[in-house]
Amino acid sequence: MEWLRIFAARLLGFFRKRQRDEDLDAELRAHVEMLTEENIRRGLSPMEARYAARREFGGVERTKVFHRELGGLPFLETLFQDVRYALRMLRKSPGFTAVVVLTLALGIGANTAIFSLMNAVLLQSLPVRNPQELVVVKYLSAQSERADEDFSYPMYEALRDKSSAFDGVLARSGVSFNATYGGQSEHATGELVSGNYYDVLGVRPWLGRLLSPDDDRTPGAHPVAVLSYAYWQVRFAGDPSIVGKQILLDAQPMTVIGVSEPGFFGTDLARDPAIRVPMAMTLVFKPIPSNRMQSVRHRWLTIMARRKPDIGIAKAQAATEVVHHQVLEEQLKGLGSSVNAHDRERILATRIQLDDGSQGFAHLRDEMQRPLVSMFGVTALVLLVACANLANLLLARSAKRCKEVAVRLAIGAESGRLIRQWLTESILLGLLGGATGILFAYWLKTGLIHFLPAEFSTTLRVPLDARVLGFLAVASVCTGILFGLAPALQISRSSVTAAMHGEASLASPGERVFSLRNALVFLQVALSLPLLIGAGLFLHSLRNLRGVDTGFVKENVFLANLNPALNGYSTERIRGLYHDLLVRLRALPQVRAASFTSSSAISGGWGQEGVRVEGYQPRQDEDMSPNAAITSPGYFASLGIPFIAGRDFTDQDNAGRQKVVIINQSFARYFFGDANPIGKRISTDDDPKAPLDMEIIGVVRDSKYVNLREKPRRHFYTAMAQEPHLFDMTLQVRTAEDPRGIGDLVRAQVHDLDPNLPLYATTTLEIQIDDSLTSERLLTWLSSLFGIVATLLASIGLSGVIAFSVARRTREIGIRVALGAQGGDVLRMVVSQTALSVGAGMAVGLAMAYALSRLMAGMLYEVGATDPRSYAAASLLLAVVAALAAYLPARRATQVDPVTALRYE
Amino acid sequence: MAPPRGEVLQGTLDLIVLQTLHAMGPLHGYGIAQRVKQVSEDLLKLNQGTLYPALLRLEQRGWISSKWGASENNRKAKFYSLTRAGRKQLLAETESWERMTALMERLLGGTEGV
Repeated sequence: MEWLRIFAARLLGFFRKRQRDEDLDAELRAHVEMLTEENIRRGLSPMEARYAARREFGGVERTKVFHRELGGLPFLETLFQDVRYALRMLRKSPGFTAVVVLTLALGIGANTAIFSLMNAVLLQSLPVRNPQELVVVKYLSAQSERADEDFSYPMYEALRDKSSAFDGVLARSGVSFNATYGGQSEHATGELVSGNYYDVLGVRPWLGRLLSPDDDRTPGAHPVAVLSYAYWQVRFAGDPSIVGKQILLDAQPMTVIGVSEPGFFGTDLARDPAIRVPMAMTLVFKPIPSNRMQSVRHRWLTIMARRKPDIGIAKAQAATEVVHHQVLEEQLKGLGSSVNAHDRERILATRIQLDDGSQGFAHLRDEMQRPLVSMFGVTALVLLVACANLANLLLARSAKRCKEVAVRLAIGAESGRLIRQWLTESILLGLLGGATGILFAYWLKTGLIHFLPAEFSTTLRVPLDARVLGFLAVASVCTGILFGLAPALQISRSSVTAAMHGEASLASPGERVFSLRNALVFLQVALSLPLLIGAGLFLHSLRNLRGVDTGFVKENVFLANLNPALNGYSTERIRGLYHDLLVRLRALPQVRAASFTSSSAISGGWGQEGVRVEGYQPRQDEDMSPNAAITSPGYFASLGIPFIAGRDFTDQDNAGRQKVVIINQSFARYFFGDANPIGKRISTDDDPKAPLDMEIIGVVRDSKYVNLREKPRRHFYTAMAQEPHLFDMTLQVRTAEDPRGIGDLVRAQVHDLDPNLPLYATTTLEIQIDDSLTSERLLTWLSSLFGIVATLLASIGLSGVIAFSVARRTREIGIRVALGAQGGDVLRMVVSQTALSVGAGMAVGLAMAYALSRLMAGMLYEVGATDPRSYAAASLLLAVVAALAAYLPARRATQVDPVTALRYE
Repeated sequence: MAPPRGEVLQGTLDLIVLQTLHAMGPLHGYGIAQRVKQVSEDLLKLNQGTLYPALLRLEQRGWISSKWGASENNRKAKFYSLTRAGRKQLLAETESWERMTALMERLLGGTEGV
């Protein structure tokens, strides 16, 4: 504890520096005077006495220095001194300071923005109690590489009740509601959750109470709901009296029992369900199939669990696997002979996998990890280029401050002390840049979020929290050290005499500075070229994706979703409503075609259905599940997909008539080869004895369904009028002009038919396709931006080096010109060394890009990661920019007038 | 190598200052130097460059405290006095010093005996 006392004493001394100095002075003065008096008493004259006392006492400077160092915190005192001095220097050259701070703000800001996204997507934990104890329960099956997350309700019950490794096991399933309150109806996201949901997560109520296991006992008998804080704020304006009142969810009255605490958004970082209801209410909100809660075949919910604190994840996994396997065997026993031996084996081979659940279900993380990490690499490279550039700038400045340094060295400054002071200056610049960079980071971050898919961008929270600010601080300091180190070391090596003479001599000792500056140019070029190449590749890839033949006409299609089933419509009524709406819409003059589909193109999801095909004998394990969609008449006209053969559905293809189906080219080729498929029959009934009940009436061109990168897929369309059950469908309206204008007209027509029916997820097909290219657009945009920034920085650095070299060699150039050197000779002389650096930098840059190409291969579409055209284009661009950057200052050298030059200095 | 006469043996300075303050009560720097000179009969001169840093160090450790006061001649001077912790420290250091000197005596006595 003694060091603490001493530190406290020193700290006190640090803050009372002046007082301390004065005290010591007075004390020492008193001592001398007492000595003098003593001498006078001994009989010396006052003057002699004082003189003798002084002599005896000796020099006091050492004592004072000693006192100062021992009595305070000399490290801090020197630091303050250096900071004051640095601030004075920076104030004296505002232009220089502004350039450096802005460059750093861009570099550090960009890194911080990407880091804030990484923080939000890859590092942020769920805001619940002890998130590190949570696990996501998944299972691995033989057929798929990635673990699946969806479980049946009976399996959830078994895991909840029998697993010994957990303190609690929760289940949840996403759902959407038509929420009505006070006569207003809107679409709201929600979740069906197990009764222990909030308990397991450790979430507290903000108002009222949250769900408990008692709210989740009897199917259909718990009409209660909990609102999220955000939804309560937005929809109910934070009115506390809502607790205890009833709202209509899908026409079912539900009592609001509470509001969960602010900040809690659920178990998926990118989602924020508004309303949670007990899973016992599944029958009401997900009525089909009606045996959902009992069926072991229907996997529709996801599971998280809280480990007991003393049980590791591997041990918990083993324990859960035992229960899982046991349950599977029991279930198979229950299913009896309806499962063949092959399937049985496959089912029993599935294994439980527990993943860390501290971030919840991290779908966004899986999707964004690679692009984010690549982007982080890119911004780090840009920052390095910026550092090299600033180091160059500082070198030039340090050459100017040569004399100041010489004077300081001459009067006895230690070089370590000088390095420290210079580093203080550059770190200060780094911090100023970082502080300014916060603004840029905020701006860029906000922009970046818009590049995320719309479903995420509205709910993802990207805070500039302590971790991000910590990153910013560390990045600022490291940057400051990085770009300040070379100039600082350079300074400390200067020799006093050379510096005092100035820097004009021909064979100056500054040659080393010169080559260091060229090394920095080399570095910048070497780092910029891979960035430019990457930008070129991404640009190329994005252009390929944009230009992909989608098989449909993407312009002028308005999309919207409608879910009358939620309002308790029967399938018959839904069919009627859809039909009426289409008739009304087709009557509008702006509308070319209108239709409904169960699966909207390039929306990222699609249904699949097993089929049996006339005359086709599948092999064991053959994939017999092509894509399937339910469509209304007019679907192909709305999307502009041409028919190869046959006809579209008509209103006559209804429930009472022959079931009909339309297939695409791939389907036709796969199952029928070159034979004419029209009139052939298929069935979706998996009972092999059932008749093939659907007749093929048309073949359409292949198109893209789920995403733009996919290979052609087999696909078939069934008629909406013949489907036994209808759920939410997407409305597609082809318009004559800009489709965004039609939204209000469509909404008015829907309102006319049923005022309680909300139209949601309105968009256009073009926007939907653009959304599917989110990470591609993000990468292209950022890599282009940073590629250009890096190239500009490199060329500014290059320009600076040449200008500097011209300036310091003016006299030499003058002599050479006087002796007969031509403009070309002079030009060659000033640029040759730098040109060499640029050439070497480009060679290394190409090699680096080639080495990194493996990382990029998976992110590109129909362009090789080593595409020679992109490499050539980037190299050419960089070479031209570099030549220009070199030429402008070098031209000045050719205009040197020998007479003026020889008088220089 | 024996230290030259009049120089302070490493580590004994603290003990000397503490003991002086213990014997004399509150004293200023000059007084301490004078007292040491007297007691050692001019053999030991505490130079200000040694004395004042030592006083600062002892004060930071909390063994002595200081207060401005008036000297015999009514001059403003800083008076140092022993604190309770200082008294304890003095006791401990005296003990260890005595152990040390006893040990040295025995050792040196032993060599004489050979």
